[in-house]
Amino acid sequence: MKRTKRSAVLALSAAAALLLTSCGFSGGNDSGGSAESEGAQTTLEMLVPTYSTGTKALWEGVIDDFETEHPNIKVNLEVQSWENIENVLKTKLQGNQAPDIYNGGAFAEFAAEDLLAPASDVASAETLADFQTAFADAEKYQDTQYGLPLIASARALFYNKDLMEEAGVKNVPTTWDQLHDASKAISDKTKADGYGMPLGSEEAQGESLIWFAGNGGNFGDAQKIAVNTPANLEAAEFMKKMIDDGVTQNDPGATQRTPMLNTFIQGKLGFAYALPQTVGQIKKENPDLNYGIAAVATKTGSPATLGVADRLMSFKNDGSKSAAVKEFFDYFFSADVYTDWVSTEGFLPTTKSGSEKLAGDETLKPFLDLLPNAVFYPTTNPAWNATDGAFKSLMGEIATGKSAQEVLDAIQAKADAAK
Amino acid sequence: MSSPVPVKAPAGRKLRRSTDTQSFISSLPWIGPALLLILAIVVFPAGYMIYNSTRKISSVGTDLHSAGLANFSTIFADPALPRILANTFFWVVSVVLITVVISLALAQFLSKPFPGRTIVRMAVIVPWAASVVMTTTVFYYGLDPNYGIFNHFFVQIGFMDEGFGWTKNAIPAMAVSVVVAIFVSIPFTTYTLLAGLQAVPGDTLEAARMDGAGRWKTYLFVVLPQLRSALAVAVLINIINVFNNLPILKVMTGSIPGNSADTLMTYIFKVLQFDRRLDLSSALSVVNFAIVLVIVAIYVKTVKPMQEV
Amino acid sequence: MAFLDTEDRASRKTVIGRMIIGLVVVIVFLIPYGTMMIGSLKTQAEILQIPPSFMPQDGLQWSNYVSMWDTPETPVPYNLISTIVISVFATLLVLLVATPAAYFTARFKFPGKMVFMFLVIVTQMLQPAVLTAGLFKQMLAWDLNDTWLAMILINAAFNLAFAVWIMHSFFAGVPRSIDEAAQIDGAGKLRVLFTINLPLVWPGIVTAVIFTFVSCWNEFAASLVILSTAENQPLSVALTKFVGQYATAWQYVFGVSIVAIVPVIVLFALIEKRLIGGLAAGAVK
Repeated sequence: MKRTKRSAVLALSAAAALLLTSCGFSGGNDSGGSAESEGAQTTLEMLVPTYSTGTKALWEGVIDDFETEHPNIKVNLEVQSWENIENVLKTKLQGNQAPDIYNGGAFAEFAAEDLLAPASDVASAETLADFQTAFADAEKYQDTQYGLPLIASARALFYNKDLMEEAGVKNVPTTWDQLHDASKAISDKTKADGYGMPLGSEEAQGESLIWFAGNGGNFGDAQKIAVNTPANLEAAEFMKKMIDDGVTQNDPGATQRTPMLNTFIQGKLGFAYALPQTVGQIKKENPDLNYGIAAVATKTGSPATLGVADRLMSFKNDGSKSAAVKEFFDYFFSADVYTDWVSTEGFLPTTKSGSEKLAGDETLKPFLDLLPNAVFYPTTNPAWNATDGAFKSLMGEIATGKSAQEVLDAIQAKADAAK
Repeated sequence: MSSPVPVKAPAGRKLRRSTDTQSFISSLPWIGPALLLILAIVVFPAGYMIYNSTRKISSVGTDLHSAGLANFSTIFADPALPRILANTFFWVVSVVLITVVISLALAQFLSKPFPGRTIVRMAVIVPWAASVVMTTTVFYYGLDPNYGIFNHFFVQIGFMDEGFGWTKNAIPAMAVSVVVAIFVSIPFTTYTLLAGLQAVPGDTLEAARMDGAGRWKTYLFVVLPQLRSALAVAVLINIINVFNNLPILKVMTGSIPGNSADTLMTYIFKVLQFDRRLDLSSALSVVNFAIVLVIVAIYVKTVKPMQEV
Repeated sequence: MAFLDTEDRASRKTVIGRMIIGLVVVIVFLIPYGTMMIGSLKTQAEILQIPPSFMPQDGLQWSNYVSMWDTPETPVPYNLISTIVISVFATLLVLLVATPAAYFTARFKFPGKMVFMFLVIVTQMLQPAVLTAGLFKQMLAWDLNDTWLAMILINAAFNLAFAVWIMHSFFAGVPRSIDEAAQIDGAGKLRVLFTINLPLVWPGIVTAVIFTFVSCWNEFAASLVILSTAENQPLSVALTKFVGQYATAWQYVFGVSIVAIVPVIVLFALIEKRLIGGLAAGAVK
């Protein structure tokens, strides 16, 4: 008994000692107070999502080089998965601990509450002038630019040549009806599914906008979110027709994009809308796949696609760090650093200098060609984030019995409630 | 091991004189540390949650103004709520009930000697040791219609013609979630009961056997009453944990559109994640908490897990 | 253990029957983890193959278990240490505060006892998952954000309930006559608790330790927001870093998950004997 007692006491005192001396691997040294005592040292908190498995290393490389050039600035990098990052950000905002640098998909709701630093405060005029005008305009809330467009991406139609041949489909579909018939042929005549429609919570908003854009539709603009418009409704009804006619995979309402694209990569799917990263994935996971990339199929065949842009932004907090943030953004968006970053992640560049440098890139070319006709999410509307959420949780219901009208109305209602 | 403990039979226990009463002050050195820990860590966040439920909070988390009870009326007016409550009820009752029945049998089995028992005991603990998210993820991907290994296995043995989307429709997804929840709840329940079985005194059993009671009778009237307090605590913790479980349903039913497969917990998550309403989700959390509180109060009142004192 | 002695003068047949049932139980409980293990030995491409392969076709990728310690996504060795430190100290803290409370409430009446016991169970009802906003603010105010200490306190506070309640029920099962005899010998309450009662309630303690340890080990929601430095994060948070927007490093997710199970099993193996101790074994001394 004595032994037990003594070892218990030992363990506890060890515990106490450890807790008093160390509170974690970096505990204690990054609290606000100590930074000032070291003179001009500024610490920037940076919160970014993982685009790929290499994202963290890529940012660490950028930060290391930046810190070498700017010894008075330290950047604390925090990387979170897409699933968790908004949760983490919101908690930080509530605790008044907004990150100085944030990489995200929506910015208008932050700008609407005056939480963001205007782009002109955190980037030099040269850096801002280098962004392509269309992208820069998409970063404005009430005529002030807040976000710095980081990446762009467009969707294109990926088709499996072997399956098309097996099903006797000669031409790559360019219209809805052609896509429908080609998918039907593949569904009927091969063991594979025709068209992959991911309306699960991962990508319902993206898949929807691809189809809406194919009918001249969109999700609205900075002033008004407009989901249940006639053009959108017609597109949604055609999506429902694809599902009801059985030319898609099973259970499209609960299908996520990543596994759906994986079935395409594995050669078990005729058609799917995919993005530049998919090319790299095919190279890695199934290099023998006989596939092609074409423009999105639209109602009439006129070109349209979904464009996506993510951005960097700076929460202004007390404003004392904007000079340091400016140093960082100017460094990051310099042609070499930025081009390297964006091409490693496999995205399309948003800067003029970057586009010039990557113009010859074969993988990106089909997507770059589509970009001029791209429709973007209404990220400049503060209600966009809630609309996005409504699409993710509700759009799949067109596959589980509800009418297209009902579903679009429900999404519209959620968007209106978010104002 | 040779001589049984001189424990009084259940009947004798009731005769025991009531325990001596102490003042609250004299209890402080004993319960004080636990009390302090709870007050220091739990009270503020819980209070903050309740406070948030009465505020109007913007989608980015800025506290705008008081909302009174408006958030609560919004919740109760939600047409999806009855289905969600029904799902929650079905979820908790089926998981806890089946878990307890299986665990009682398993605990009994694991208390019997046989070669390799330690290995079996260790295997049973693995689902407990593993993270629930990961266990669920394995099931989720195993049941994927295309590259799921379980689905593939069912097809290979001729049980099905082609892969089935178990997790793609509300009812099968809910059923599969129940199975996973039972699977991960069994180890904890079994071990609590197994520990409880160790306290069943041998002489009581001996006495029962001498009276000529059969196996089932002995179990029902001698063993089970002795297991009572362990069982009561195990059921209590299970009810709470199953009620509040998010990871299993989030993974299993997360891709299903609408609210047909939601429980209160997954609904709270969706309101926060997709609708970005911290105020509404806080109000829902308060409602969720109140429901658990009432259930537990009724449970403690009727089952009296602390009866021995 | 007389239960076993009398009823279980088991025949050979019965013993073999039990071993067969035991084998079935082992298989059922290990299937998901066997699948996980196999997945961790495949290449990333093979995990996503359609149709799936039951066993790795391109050879067993044991190298995954080497490379996972040094990945660009997250510093796994640090994550493992963080998880161990947080779980061990939170469990110790729980034992430290729960044991006296459980003993005292099982032995004595005092005003507010029911309130206390109910307050304890309330902590179990409040999951950190819905309280992260408040926890973050509170730890910020105490300047404890991004520290192990914060997570040790949080884990201990929210996992107190089971330990108090289960030990309470075990202490209550120890006959008072044992206490009284000791008290006549002049032993103080503390000594009665440590020398007389504790050895008698080992099964309860063991269950409480495993329960608490496992809960801390797998805690996610609070760690996600409180611990922002990658090195300080536990394995549960680290695992999410392997999930990218378009691709996930499943081989590492599975490998790290397998490795994460091991310490809990080791802990269990170390204390499993005590599970059989309890009243029967203790009272002989």
